[in-house]
Amino acid sequence: MFRRFAISFVFTLAALGATARTRPHYGGTLRVEVAGDPWQRPSGIARRLVYDGLTQLDPSGALQPALAISWEQDNSFHRWQFRLRPGVRFHDGTVLTSATVVASLKASCSARCPWDAVKAVGPLVIFTNDSSMPNLPALLASDQFLIALTANADGKTPAGAMGTGPFQASDFKNGVLALAANENCWSGRPFADSVEIRVHRSIRDQWLDLGLGRADLVEVPAEQLRQAQQQRLSVLTSPPIVLLALQVSDAGLLANVKVRGAIAAAVDRSALYNVIFQKQGEVTASLLPQKMSGYSFLFPTARDLNKAHELRGGLATGELTLSVEGEGAMQLAGQRIALNLREAGFNVQMAPVGVQHSDLMLRKFLISGNDPSAALERILWDADALVPVTEQTSADLYKREQTILENRKIITLVDLPLGYASGARIRDLRVRADGTPDLAGTSMEDAR
Amino acid sequence: MRAMRVVVTVALVVCWAIGCTALGAQLQQSQSPWSQPAAELAGQIADILGPGQAQLTVRNLSTIQAGEIPSIRKLIEQDLKARGVLAGGTESANAIRVTLSENARERLWVAEVIEGNETRVTMVHVGAGEASAIRTTNERVVLRKEKMPSLVARSGGTMRDDPILAAAEINGHLVVMFDDRISVFSSAGGRWIESNSFAMSSKLARDARGILLPTADGGSFTAYAPGTQCSGSYSLPLNGAAQDSGWTVRCRASDDPWPVYQSADASSAPALKAFYNAARDFFTGVVTPNIGVDLPPFYAAGMIPRPAGGAAVLLAGVDGKVQTVENGVMRPIAGARDWGSDLAVVRSGCGMGTQVITSSSGEAANDSLRAFGIPALEAIPESNALGMDGTVTALWTAQDGKSAMAVVRNGAGEYEVDRVSALCN
Repeated sequence: MFRRFAISFVFTLAALGATARTRPHYGGTLRVEVAGDPWQRPSGIARRLVYDGLTQLDPSGALQPALAISWEQDNSFHRWQFRLRPGVRFHDGTVLTSATVVASLKASCSARCPWDAVKAVGPLVIFTNDSSMPNLPALLASDQFLIALTANADGKTPAGAMGTGPFQASDFKNGVLALAANENCWSGRPFADSVEIRVHRSIRDQWLDLGLGRADLVEVPAEQLRQAQQQRLSVLTSPPIVLLALQVSDAGLLANVKVRGAIAAAVDRSALYNVIFQKQGEVTASLLPQKMSGYSFLFPTARDLNKAHELRGGLATGELTLSVEGEGAMQLAGQRIALNLREAGFNVQMAPVGVQHSDLMLRKFLISGNDPSAALERILWDADALVPVTEQTSADLYKREQTILENRKIITLVDLPLGYASGARIRDLRVRADGTPDLAGTSMEDAR
Repeated sequence: MRAMRVVVTVALVVCWAIGCTALGAQLQQSQSPWSQPAAELAGQIADILGPGQAQLTVRNLSTIQAGEIPSIRKLIEQDLKARGVLAGGTESANAIRVTLSENARERLWVAEVIEGNETRVTMVHVGAGEASAIRTTNERVVLRKEKMPSLVARSGGTMRDDPILAAAEINGHLVVMFDDRISVFSSAGGRWIESNSFAMSSKLARDARGILLPTADGGSFTAYAPGTQCSGSYSLPLNGAAQDSGWTVRCRASDDPWPVYQSADASSAPALKAFYNAARDFFTGVVTPNIGVDLPPFYAAGMIPRPAGGAAVLLAGVDGKVQTVENGVMRPIAGARDWGSDLAVVRSGCGMGTQVITSSSGEAANDSLRAFGIPALEAIPESNALGMDGTVTALWTAQDGKSAMAVVRNGAGEYEVDRVSALCN
């Protein structure tokens, strides 16, 4: 109780001291705290600070050049060539070449790449594939394909993370990852001199540190956004870009689409939305959110227990295991889903935390960008079911989604936002299209 | 007989009036922006359902105003009726559920046609409209915003996402400095079409800035960007070549000081030049000619003429303080605590004669501009705040000296150039 009061009091004082906006100042250290691993995909906060992709999404979700300055397709999207930005160097001074890019891309996806071949020709990086790749430029903006130096000029593997981004990793000590400004960043030197990321910090401790001025930016999980607003934290949220979905195996009894349909009918999305996630984001039964597609409401979200029983048809499914990606609210959501399924006659057991392989997996998919076709392809890629999405009109995309969802291998549940709370020193903080904070464009009021 | 004639005349007039009203209503509906999508959707519904009766419901999930929904429903009903589908009858087994929706790119009208247990879906796209409002003031000076026409790239696409550092109208063309090039635009059809582009290899910065200064004769310009100086000149093309082909722009690496303001007579040479720190995006405080006092690093400067003669130099410091330098003495200005970093001095002739237009936002999502008079050591508001449609990323005095030019980046990251005039109220 006292802790909550203390946090509120500190933020009230901070708000009273707010000043008008001037041009951003250079200098200072941004202190960030996160609950997880800052290098973890897809939303690890350090990744986007240290690495760049060939392409990138701007805050509105539009595709923009990054390490590639232009690209063009050939042979009906079966071949793409990307022209590299000249004069870019990795943090250790190694020049960015098409060869270093190709090496990085090959390391990033090894055998499971959305292309058959990638090769370096002069300043060009050329991708070819037997299937059409209409959304490759958008796919290359995703976190998986950020460019890292795999070997320096001497052929040796660089020590630590080596990218071309606005910050370079400088130290990791006592649970704090230190990043230093890249003075020669191709996209301009960041405003802050350095960023300190304190890792594996509980949300409660993060908020307390923010209130006491020991942190400038902390995380606010979707289910705690309401609480953060009540405590008058300065909260910044992304649109609902994290799709929470149940990925269903098609092995054994689950090979029967009716059994998978019974699982879909048994899940109570409203309870997840109302109780677990505190009415943040939106309930969904579609892959793309309503704001992106405009037709999400066509997929019914209501629970139908009778239909679930009917579809299961008295079949004994044996024991099903349910694994959950993440902790906290995700585990609670998993438990709630297991309860829903037991009510429909399924024998569901929760897999231990950390186990990834199971009959049912509660997962998060990132939906970024404003191109629904590319976003849909990205979800399929993340679900290990990559098939090119060539549909462009809303009517065609709707039919495509309908076809994908009818086989019930992905049961979508809730679209959630990502949230952050910032201290009074922070200014011009924006959330990128992938939901991570753009710390390179952030400055501090008291920097001189 | 006479009474009969009166009755016939009155009847004719009434019929004419009713006819006009009906025709007017019909015309009004045919002119509605929703007529075409309503007809298209009704056609698709009729193709699925065939002639008959169906219960129609319309709901709105879009940004269309609630007041417009009844007229949209009426349009759909009429178009359905024209195709043999009668909307109404709660006893009908068929139902049409129309949802007026939208996504990031367009409006989307979706119809779910329900026949028994079967539901079929059809949808049409509807173009989205835009509206903008201009705020006015009622104080001594009124700031009026005028948006410059949109910029169109040579490829035909808009270039609203390219950061604009500075712009000026020269020789009937619009010269725009982006962070990587200087482009010349020609006016056509109410828009500026890019006709020439000259690469500029300035050092990229997070808060990139630039100055574009037309010469007094209006035939050429000098441009300054971090680490780069460019000069452009225009000569009338020979042999009937296109008017816009006469531009030549040459750039070179340079650390020369930038002109930070003109003297009161805009035709004369820059009154003050300042060295720019390209790695930190501010002026270092070292100026030429020397004005007799060591200046702190600053973002913007201006010159305010004094009624008694002479002038004061106004500085928006990196530390957030606004100060004047007059007679070799630097003094802080009161009443400027909520100023932003950019300022433009305009000679409106109203109020105190010269105003300083400055950006000011506090914590609001969008910036605003306001005119201040500085008769002594206090900034006195002379206009109401003029709301801008986003963040003001650059602000400078226009060539005429009577208005300011502002570059605004809206929430979607798109840039536009606005001319802001100070008018007497």
